[in-house]
Amino acid sequence: MRPFYGALAGAGALLLAGLNSAQAATEIEFWHAMSGALGERVDDLVKKFNDSQKDYVVKAIAKGNYDEVLNGTIAAYRAKRQPEIVQSNERSFLTMVNSGAIVPTAELMEQQGRPVDASKFIAPVVSYYTIGGKLQAMPFNSSTPILFYNRDHFKAAGFDKPGATWQELEPQLDAIKAKGVSKCAMVLPGDYEWSFLENYSAVNDIPYATKRNGMDGLDTSFVFNKGKLVGQVERMKRLVSSNVMQLAGQGIIPIQLFTSGECSTIIASTASHAAVVAAAKFDWSAAELPYEQGVTPRNSVIGGAALWTLKGHTPEKYKAVAAFYDFLAKTDTQVWWHQATGYVPVTTAAYEAAKAQGYYQKNPTREIAVVQLMRGTPSDNSLGFRIGNSNQINVGIMEEVSAAFLGKKPVQQALDDAVSRGNEVLRRYEQLNAGKK
Amino acid sequence: MPARNNTATLPGTAGGGSRLRWPFRRLLLKGAGDGQAESGLKRAHFKEWRLPFWLLAPQLFILLLFFFIPSIRALIQAFQLTDPFGATTQWVGFQNFERLFRSGVYWSSAQVTLIFTLAQNVLTLSVALLLAFASNHILRGRGAYRTVLLLPYAIAPAIAGIMLAFLFNPRVGPVAQMLQGLGLDWDPNRNSWHALALVVMAASWKHICYNYIFLVAALMSVPQSILESAYLDGAGPVQRFLRISLPMITPTLFFLIVINFVYGLFETFAIIDATTRGGPAGATSILVYKVYQDGFVTLDLGSSAAQSVVLMALALFLTFAQFRFVERRVNYSV
Repeated sequence: MRPFYGALAGAGALLLAGLNSAQAATEIEFWHAMSGALGERVDDLVKKFNDSQKDYVVKAIAKGNYDEVLNGTIAAYRAKRQPEIVQSNERSFLTMVNSGAIVPTAELMEQQGRPVDASKFIAPVVSYYTIGGKLQAMPFNSSTPILFYNRDHFKAAGFDKPGATWQELEPQLDAIKAKGVSKCAMVLPGDYEWSFLENYSAVNDIPYATKRNGMDGLDTSFVFNKGKLVGQVERMKRLVSSNVMQLAGQGIIPIQLFTSGECSTIIASTASHAAVVAAAKFDWSAAELPYEQGVTPRNSVIGGAALWTLKGHTPEKYKAVAAFYDFLAKTDTQVWWHQATGYVPVTTAAYEAAKAQGYYQKNPTREIAVVQLMRGTPSDNSLGFRIGNSNQINVGIMEEVSAAFLGKKPVQQALDDAVSRGNEVLRRYEQLNAGKK
Repeated sequence: MPARNNTATLPGTAGGGSRLRWPFRRLLLKGAGDGQAESGLKRAHFKEWRLPFWLLAPQLFILLLFFFIPSIRALIQAFQLTDPFGATTQWVGFQNFERLFRSGVYWSSAQVTLIFTLAQNVLTLSVALLLAFASNHILRGRGAYRTVLLLPYAIAPAIAGIMLAFLFNPRVGPVAQMLQGLGLDWDPNRNSWHALALVVMAASWKHICYNYIFLVAALMSVPQSILESAYLDGAGPVQRFLRISLPMITPTLFFLIVINFVYGLFETFAIIDATTRGGPAGATSILVYKVYQDGFVTLDLGSSAAQSVVLMALALFLTFAQFRFVERRVNYSV
């Protein structure tokens, strides 16, 4: 018996030694929400990093959509099995900051001797993820909505391109429908709360919530049931009820109705470039978001997600995280990511580099989002949104707005109800997080 | 209706539910307790506690793990306001419940749930009954028909939901285009009733097979002798079905009604999520979908827990009421 055990122990030791040498590189996990083509780009990105050095290995794991990733992270964190890095969308910013589960990126990078220079980043991106002068998360995939259009349809209806203002665009959409060019002049995106309401208020410089859209404290309240925003929802309702704007509904993704040539326009994230390039078999182009006549349009606000570092790991692991973030911020990485995915470059240097390559001369639509994000000086209304439990509020807003589309209630009442439902959630968030930012 | 007549005329009613299917037998033995000579397992059967304990232990362990612990946690959470990551927790008393009952959205969801479960129940049961009746009368290829009818049960709810959502999508769905061709302005994205009809259809389609298995088995167990004598008396197939088979299978019907309610109330969220996501404007957001949405999508754990406590109470009440008041009237055997 004894020799047998000896042999077993020897084999065990060998196995352990083998494992050790294989694990000489520090391995960290990165949970993300990118699927399809974008998921493949994330894998490419991680591979680039892993091949670029020998000390660290990043393992990218797709965990479903943003909600599912966040849910998985919460469950993992409560069970103390959280990954080092998690991708979370811009909407979850306050949830993440106040979770007590994260290491602010600025702090992490300082500890690891790779301090972040915030001025290198594009302003609307970095300001969104910064509190008290400290970057909280690593900007990763940032986007903003733009207007994609089918040029063939516009030509067939006798137009060069979509008008810059809603007042010019609306008759064009009506004409496309009326002339029978397309049964669907525009398709409503799934995230219209972001593209048609939040970004509308930023571009047209009107307040969405008090306290600079929540930037100045948790005691913010919604005010989007007034003035131009009511007009915007009235406009959407008119477009929907006259069948000029179609709802995709379940079973199909709105952008597919655009890329299949069924719908003539869509207001969607610039990251839709990936889908449009891959699938659109017609002459397409894009333009900046339409705005109200007589307004000097402001910058739009970002969407997308950032990378959060979770607490509870060894310094070794954080070293790896910092190295990965450093790699992400590199100009080469950013230029590649921007061109491969359609997301905006998050550093000014990357934007300049892409420009210098002549990339935008060949691909003019890729620059629209960057220009739109950086134009002018951000006003209090276009700095961004800092709303607690934003996911929950969004569900309520979309429910009320679609009740208005369905004719269940007048637009004004729907928005009043959305505001009061949203404010209730805000007050509860304030109650729970009293004393925090 | 015929059930009551038969209760009076058929002999052997007092025999206790010895011929009943499992859920009834157990409950009957425990609940009826009217001094009948049930042959249930009594305490006296076991001389000491260890054996019964170990016999029950696996089941109790599973119940503890998947029912009691989560229920107790939900109960606790219903009185709390919690940060999703668990960093901050406050006791808020009945605040979550107050908020719930004040909210118009919740009441409209309750209303939708009522319509949904009733419609789903009626549709499922009547179609399953029709199919069971029909396939009972087919002699050639009966097995093949049954297999085909059982297939939908093997399809995951999410897939069934997405498939139906696509088929009925007003822009691209072939079935939707057929409906529109017939002159119906079909659009579940803009018409609450269309959306509700769609989820009722999806939920029923998925559950018809389950009802069908039970009904076929019940119909087969209807004594041939009675059917034959009815036949000799000149009753046609439909009459035999309505006058004899149907009353004889009422216990199964009752069981299926309960199961369909439970299914509609608690197990349809995957289908709703895949078919309509509770929309448009909350038109198909049934209570259990709201629990999921508030808990897992919007991370409002307190409200979600309060809602599940309400649902739990509702389930208890339904079960109690049904077994207490309805069950005795439909049980009999030959």
